[in-house]
Amino acid sequence: MAVGSKRISRREALKTAARCGPAVAFPMVVPASALGRGGATPPSDRVTVGGLGIGNRGAYVLQSFLAQNDVQFLAVCDVRDERREAIKSMVDQKYGNRDCAVYSDQYEIWARKDIDALLIATGDRWHAPLAIMSARAGKDVYCEKPCSMTIEQSRALADTFLRLGRIYQAGTQRRDGHNCIKVYELLKSGKLGKLQTLHAEAGPGDRWPPLTRHDWLPAEPEPPKQVCDWDRWLGPSPWRPYNSEYVKGRWRGYFDFHGGGILEWGSHTVDLCQWAGGLDDTSPVEYEPEGMGSDTPYTIRCRYANGVKLVIRDKGFLGLGSCHFRVEGDAGWAETADGGKVVVSENLRGERFEPAPDTFKNTTTNHVRNFIDCVKSRKQPSSNALAACQAHITCHAAYIAFQLGRKLRFDPATDTFIGDDEANRMRSRAMREPWRL
Amino acid sequence: MSRTILFPTAFAAAPAVKPMVDEKYGSAAQIMALPPAKLVAILKDPSASAYAKAKACQKLAVTGDKSAVPALAALLTDPQLSHYARFGLEPNPDPSADEALRAALSKVKGPLLVGVINSIGHRKDPKAFSALEKLLHDPDPNVSQAAAAALARIRPAL
Repeated sequence: MAVGSKRISRREALKTAARCGPAVAFPMVVPASALGRGGATPPSDRVTVGGLGIGNRGAYVLQSFLAQNDVQFLAVCDVRDERREAIKSMVDQKYGNRDCAVYSDQYEIWARKDIDALLIATGDRWHAPLAIMSARAGKDVYCEKPCSMTIEQSRALADTFLRLGRIYQAGTQRRDGHNCIKVYELLKSGKLGKLQTLHAEAGPGDRWPPLTRHDWLPAEPEPPKQVCDWDRWLGPSPWRPYNSEYVKGRWRGYFDFHGGGILEWGSHTVDLCQWAGGLDDTSPVEYEPEGMGSDTPYTIRCRYANGVKLVIRDKGFLGLGSCHFRVEGDAGWAETADGGKVVVSENLRGERFEPAPDTFKNTTTNHVRNFIDCVKSRKQPSSNALAACQAHITCHAAYIAFQLGRKLRFDPATDTFIGDDEANRMRSRAMREPWRL
Repeated sequence: MSRTILFPTAFAAAPAVKPMVDEKYGSAAQIMALPPAKLVAILKDPSASAYAKAKACQKLAVTGDKSAVPALAALLTDPQLSHYARFGLEPNPDPSADEALRAALSKVKGPLLVGVINSIGHRKDPKAFSALEKLLHDPDPNVSQAAAAALARIRPAL
């Protein structure tokens, strides 16, 4: 499927050739599946997808892509050979062939004109730069969260996708979860009354500390480039000596690679709060941290320009699973998390919601489906670039307030902190050469 | 009710391997707790490790003032630390940071030059315009593309 172009599809070409008859006679065997028979989606209606940096989480999301009849996964790119081969094996097994191409250089997958969209599931350090460069290469993008390392990256991400008209879906799949939609609808219906306060669960401090480390691990011999290209693994992050711990997945918790507990879960739960609150186009104007000096409990109290409050905290939720979000109006409240159950205030007992089996997995599949539909329709997906940008700016601003340990005021119109030079200097980070936004 | 983590992922709240500690200046946290003047002294110390200098640059990104610029600028030509120098210089509000980056355009080549150009573009330094225009014609495509991107940031299309 040639999205956004007037290229003649293979299906149309076949029809045209048939009408021309002997003038273009050539022996041809067309499988029924290629014409859409037997329930198969013809190739011309399929969205072709490639993958960048597909690790454990990416493989989980990839299952949802492979489950779509109108998706064809064509290629994977990774700096690690074992990941390239693992994903190729997974894809080839699904399709019963050996066709999944493997690359170690992202420029090779961007050069594939037959690939419409990319699934990006690298480490956080690469998310925004790769998504932006993919859009410039003409690709639509489904990108895992957190989507950016800085406020500047968040804004550049939204600007790029809006300017180029590419489709961006952040991997904040809970927006397509039935339990979260239930909470959203309760607020929209007016049953909770006027919105007062939103609560977003941050990564529990005993597992995801709010502050990240600046250490380096001791140097180990670098593996051969074809086994793991360390320079490309680091990408735009500051250089540090190779240590296999990072590559094994233990890169989280380091400032150069990760945004700590606030970004780790806030990218989901703050995102849900802004979505439910109709705040997808802005960020709070105040951030006041509490709990500095220890990993847990910690809180950042935020306030939007319209007076609505946002409380980002790692403790005090109802124990409904990971990634709680809670909405409080002046007439009632509702809370949910990954367990799928929706708990409501006493006056709304009739609105309780019990999860269906496989709610969590279905949420990701719904989100992928929404992305594929939007690639075809060119409509904005549920977790589009602007919504992701604003939710991430909120998280970054909260993270900066916590690092500085003081209340900050913020202007969402200019993405600047008011009267705090140090905070403003933390809105961006120089990227390692040759990378830039 | 116990907390249910439905999709656990690998993380590193505390590293399984003991982090590096600089023999002279201590841990990353100890280095980054130093005031700007002592961080600048680390940058000037020929016996300081790359680790200590890297951490000093990262802290000076937030706390460094005009007095930090010369020491950071001196590292722009260092292949291992050039990016860290830019990390420290890029957000520095003092105009001398622009001057240092402009001066480095004629001192570095290849990837380091690309990095310096990128930082100039990030700071949107209008005084670099003519120098960047010349680099549009550099035989290294990475340099010419970086110059074009920087010019676009400094003077965006109407």
